[in-house]
Amino acid sequence: MSTQTSSLNDLSQCLVDAAATAGAVHADALAVANTGNSISVRTGHVESIEHEDGCGIGLRAFVETPKGLAFASASSSDVSAAGLKSLAEQVVAMACISEPDPDAVPPVGANHPDAGAIADWQHKHPERDSGWTIDAARKTALDCETIARDYSNDITNSEGADASFGSTHVAYAASDGFAADYAKSSASLSISVIAGKGEGMQRDYAWHRAMHVSHLKNTEELASEAASRAVRRLDARSMPSGKATVVFEPRVATSLASHLTGAINGRAVLQKRSFLADSNGRHIFPDFIQIIDDPDHPDGLANRLFDGEGSRCTRRTLIKAGQLTGFLTDRYAAGRLKTVATGHARRGLTGDTGIGPSNLIWQPGQHDQASIIAGIEHGLLVTELIGFGVNGVTGDYSRGAGGFLIEHGQITRPVQGITIAGNLKDMFAGIVQVGSDMTWFGSTAVPSIAIADMTIAGE
Amino acid sequence: MPNKSPATPPIPVSDDTLNDMLAHMLPAGADDGDLYIEQSFAESLSLEEGRVKHISASTHQGLGARVIRGEASGHAYTDRLEPAALMDAARAARAIATGGGNMKPVAIHAAHPAPQLYQADNPALSVPLAGRKELLEKLDRLARSLDSRVRQVFASVSSSFSNIHIIRMDGAHVHDARPLVRLNVSVVVEQDGKRETGSAGGGGRFALSRMLEGDEAERLVQEAVRLAILNLDAGEAPAGTMPVVLGPGWPGILLHEAIGHGLEGDFNRKGTSVFSEKMGKRVAARGITVVDDGSIAERRGSLNVDDEGTQSGRTVLIEDGILTGYLLDRQNARLMDMQPTGNGRRESYAHPVLPRMTNTFMLAGSDSPEDILGSLKRGIYAVNFGGGQVDITSGKFVFTTSEAYYVENGEIQYPVKGAPLIGSGYEVLQKVSMIGNDLQLDPGVGTCGKAGQSVPVGVGLPTIRIDDLTVGGTQA
Repeated sequence: MSTQTSSLNDLSQCLVDAAATAGAVHADALAVANTGNSISVRTGHVESIEHEDGCGIGLRAFVETPKGLAFASASSSDVSAAGLKSLAEQVVAMACISEPDPDAVPPVGANHPDAGAIADWQHKHPERDSGWTIDAARKTALDCETIARDYSNDITNSEGADASFGSTHVAYAASDGFAADYAKSSASLSISVIAGKGEGMQRDYAWHRAMHVSHLKNTEELASEAASRAVRRLDARSMPSGKATVVFEPRVATSLASHLTGAINGRAVLQKRSFLADSNGRHIFPDFIQIIDDPDHPDGLANRLFDGEGSRCTRRTLIKAGQLTGFLTDRYAAGRLKTVATGHARRGLTGDTGIGPSNLIWQPGQHDQASIIAGIEHGLLVTELIGFGVNGVTGDYSRGAGGFLIEHGQITRPVQGITIAGNLKDMFAGIVQVGSDMTWFGSTAVPSIAIADMTIAGE
Repeated sequence: MPNKSPATPPIPVSDDTLNDMLAHMLPAGADDGDLYIEQSFAESLSLEEGRVKHISASTHQGLGARVIRGEASGHAYTDRLEPAALMDAARAARAIATGGGNMKPVAIHAAHPAPQLYQADNPALSVPLAGRKELLEKLDRLARSLDSRVRQVFASVSSSFSNIHIIRMDGAHVHDARPLVRLNVSVVVEQDGKRETGSAGGGGRFALSRMLEGDEAERLVQEAVRLAILNLDAGEAPAGTMPVVLGPGWPGILLHEAIGHGLEGDFNRKGTSVFSEKMGKRVAARGITVVDDGSIAERRGSLNVDDEGTQSGRTVLIEDGILTGYLLDRQNARLMDMQPTGNGRRESYAHPVLPRMTNTFMLAGSDSPEDILGSLKRGIYAVNFGGGQVDITSGKFVFTTSEAYYVENGEIQYPVKGAPLIGSGYEVLQKVSMIGNDLQLDPGVGTCGKAGQSVPVGVGLPTIRIDDLTVGGTQA
């Protein structure tokens, strides 16, 4: 363990102690340090070099009142002894004003991983850096942009390539004595180029992020992907309004996965803010759909041993043969929903606990994207979505889209300036096929997803 | 209107350290550079299920060091205001510059003070936490009393106060103290098993006590409940191309998405915007004038000075339909041989400066709103919107209605579900055929995202008629 992490452990432990001194009955704390570098290049030259050196602490403290436990939280970047003391006093004072909640769950007695599990995890996930240096990242970014710009004469301009790398260390401590830390590294490469001229310009991009530079996609592959995508979009225009089968390619299908995790978020369910609030145990997808949350996956950027409340994380099948097996919960939502906490608490330095997945894996199907398209008489391959037209309460869905027209099993031309609409409940149930092309974007892996009978608004 | 010039608080880093940093950062070959030191305090209370269960706060400080050379920039930040960490940041920022040698030390001195568009006090101090909690509880009770179909009420009040010191390479020190408050209410209503939501918010750069004066807070609750109930009865929106009338105020998000981003200096210098090389050309119908104005007192998007210390001003982007201006920070202005417009903004010391909008709006025309709605044979009357997004290269934008009606022969028929409007930023203002005399600015709720950075902004619009726009409904 590095000195940095051990001092972070001290910080989080000191904060919990300071909270007790200030009058808290329970508390938990986070200490985070991150360093990172980012190089952007454009038209063959370095455009910016950025360096980050961040640190922060966050404390959540509970006080006892005649009506039950009340809590508050705060964050700071002042890690001096006086800073810790004043943060603790501030949080306790705020907690005394908060309204007690009879359902509040203090950071005591969570299903913590034991010492053996922590040791196994650290052995399996040794602390290491991203494997990049500024010079190597600069060279990769320059190479990437050059390959993309040289891809075709139709590439007329560039928004540049960006190579970033860094690491984050997090230490967590709770007043029941649980304390643990972890470190993460990442390296990412992105490229965006422009094809065409004037009002006919089209931009497209490609990106990849991995824990270590050795797992990053091949530079040439990424550069060619961005350039070929931009060129293929030239001369895009609208298409007629009407019903069509829509194929979401993996990079946009990730948004469907996040609409699902947003809707099965236990807190949204409690508050009736989800269109799936009444769907526990129901078949919300066709029976060939399987979706897994895996907190320990070789390709996972969101691997974790414990969640934001120190609860142990385990692999779960969220959608089993089309059936919703349960909601994602933290300890609070689990208590209210009368179920067991699933280890999905998410915490920032300040603010209430949230809920979110770890690595989300939408299992692939048998057929590749080309054979899915070959079976579609009239449809749209969506490669880009813009706008925020999704209502999480009702499931109503309508977003701006771009992509390619599918006619008689063939891609015939690029399309833009249209919207696709439906209701997420119908869309989930209306999935007709998923591709064999499962692809990772960050901590989400998804295949192409084909949905029948969506409404296109165009000409 | 506040105009007193308050005492500048001390910079939380010694002059010696600042001088050492500047001398290290600005060797021969650097065109520009600065140190940006920020201390920010934020508090937020949120209510759900009738209780203010959670109060949160943050106190952060840090420094960003920046060196500019030609089209390139070096930026480094640290959360630790200690000499060793600060010098590391200065050296990292300097990595972009090629020349050797250090600059001669310069004396740090106060620059000419900027006008005071807002009070330089922490806006939270005007109402104690307990008073803010009582406000939210009162709003919760009001929402539930307005309609028995209200099932959930979410209300939040947040405030922030940032003290910013900008020290330019010549030693000029510019200070700004920025208050910002925001009150939000959203409700979930239920009828016959069907649920809907409505929300409303407001705020600006003023003391929190302002939100408690008069009936502003109560009005937000009424608005949120009204919208949720309206949505219960909303029908399917049509799908296809048709005329659209936009109501005044927040629908100005159209200008922000369709026009504003495309006129930011960085995209135009690089030739990646659909508006590149359109200066002096017609990009909108006659009668249309669009401005970006960061110098309106107490508005959410306003700034005394931008994040490079340039005084905020009013930039005419489009005058009578002709493109006349870009939004510029110092680097892009220098490279484009133009003057900075006070639009260099950053989310915080941890983020690089980008050209960004402040308050962007269209000036009023002469048509009455009734005549404009009356002209609609068959189309959509969109009064309020959620978020929007634009692809600045193709110019395609999308923004989604949160209150809209289907109209026939000038008469409102029924409310329609949230539907995206999609169009081309280069074409849309050329299709405006009527401009209302009822310019309104939004209630103070806008946040703009660009390159992963969020900054508060404002928008405004009079009622306008757009002759054709694609409506993304489900009724094909």
